[in-house]
Amino acid sequence: MQSPAGALERLAAHSAEGFPNLLAARALTAARLAEMRARVASVSLPADASIVLFGSWGRGELTAHSDDDWLLLVDGPLRAEHDPIVATLRDLLGAEDRKPGTQDVFGAAASAHVLARRIGLDEDTNRSLTRRMLLLLESVPVAGDDAYERCWVHVLDSYLEDATKDFRPPRFLLNDLVRYWRTICVDFVGKQREDEEKWGLRNAKLRTGRKVLFAAGLLPILLCDRHQQAAMRDFLVEQLRAPATDRLAAAFAAYDLRDGGGRALDAYDRWIGMLGDDATRSELAAVRRETADASDAYARVRRSGRELEAGLLALLFETPLVVFVREYGVF
Amino acid sequence: MSTGALAELRGDWEALVAEARRTSTFAVELAALSADELPDLLHFLAAAPALPFHFISLHAPSKGRRLREKQLIAMLMEVGRSVDAIVVHPDAMDEPARYAALGSALVLENMDSRKRDGRTVAELEPYFAALPQAGFCFDVAHAASVDEELGEGERLLDGFGARLRHVHVSSLDEDCHHVPLSADDEERFAPLLRRCRDVPWILEAPLRET
Repeated sequence: MQSPAGALERLAAHSAEGFPNLLAARALTAARLAEMRARVASVSLPADASIVLFGSWGRGELTAHSDDDWLLLVDGPLRAEHDPIVATLRDLLGAEDRKPGTQDVFGAAASAHVLARRIGLDEDTNRSLTRRMLLLLESVPVAGDDAYERCWVHVLDSYLEDATKDFRPPRFLLNDLVRYWRTICVDFVGKQREDEEKWGLRNAKLRTGRKVLFAAGLLPILLCDRHQQAAMRDFLVEQLRAPATDRLAAAFAAYDLRDGGGRALDAYDRWIGMLGDDATRSELAAVRRETADASDAYARVRRSGRELEAGLLALLFETPLVVFVREYGVF
Repeated sequence: MSTGALAELRGDWEALVAEARRTSTFAVELAALSADELPDLLHFLAAAPALPFHFISLHAPSKGRRLREKQLIAMLMEVGRSVDAIVVHPDAMDEPARYAALGSALVLENMDSRKRDGRTVAELEPYFAALPQAGFCFDVAHAASVDEELGEGERLLDGFGARLRHVHVSSLDEDCHHVPLSADDEERFAPLLRRCRDVPWILEAPLRET
């Protein structure tokens, strides 16, 4: 399978307009990452620490309203020395309405060793599961790149140490990814029961960005079925380091589903356009379950979500990938 | 399944839906091919409990229209958000731009060789230019009737594939009536249908008995 790097641009010929919103978001992300690197350059980091951004920063899908979801990621145990750095970063990052969400997942320090060691069982909280998965699937460093690299590989290796069979996907990683996706879905309803205030935007993100996150993680893991155990790590590193939309575009191309891939990523492109549009975003922010059917913006999100999902399902079930999905996707 | 293929049940929407459901609960096309079927269909949709299908298309009248076009569009707008697609034949439009009111629910279908318009990329382009939000319903048998070598079918998918919402699948008899997909056509159409694996396929005639 061809490297995923640049796959989205290569698929553009099969799209309606060449994914203008996705490519603009990538350009914006690159520019803002350069600004962010300059902003945190004055922060004195110990050799074991890195400043890492998550979410749309990691996916290369930044829009004007994206949060600054950040962590001080540490390659080792947390120490008192890290506390003043976190305090400084809280002043530097997340200005105005870009502060990290209210779930305390971001905007703090985290030990990659703890994330890697505590996989499963009671101590592996939603917070640590989220941090670990998003580190692997959609993260980017803006300082302390070497420490970030060591942390990222350490977490990946913690999943792969039990993957000893050739031509078999690493089930530990697969199961944790599926657990994460289902946790997102279950927590959506949990949050809905607590507070309907952000229902529209949460629902829209579940239909779009979260599905891209999951599918773009699932595909490389399933495709390990093609590799001997010794080659899986390099394969996963190459895949997971590429933006999620590149991973998906590469898979659509590899399985000769370029038309369907173009339509699916067109739908996702429209969603990115909606996220960057103030009026649409405001309308979605105000949508509640009981008012959703009356919202034009919500209708457009639902259509985009369905078209995205249809393309992803065709990729998983109408190509030779169905063999892997059947074998590993249920039990 | 398209309910248009169930001629013996025409007019009995409950029975049509039940029969379509026996084929698949994934997708259905509720076909009011004749204008006098539309009011009953709209009444059925307004009164019916939720339907079991994941994708619901409504085929707007393509013949026998006695309503003024504005009235027809107003009636179709009533169902707007309760269906995923409203299929309109380009050659049945008087003023295409009027249909923009249907927004992205509107879907234009390519026509068969008997028609004088809407058959090819060149003939469909003005319609899509006038209706930028409209989707495309690819009728593979219609495309084959225009060009047996299927080159026009490829061009239709090249030109409007980004708008593709669903596919009509059948063979055609010598009078361009939809008939069950033949084994020969199944093989012949496969390269085109392979390009449409992500969208619903609507059977315009029952599956052949094997």
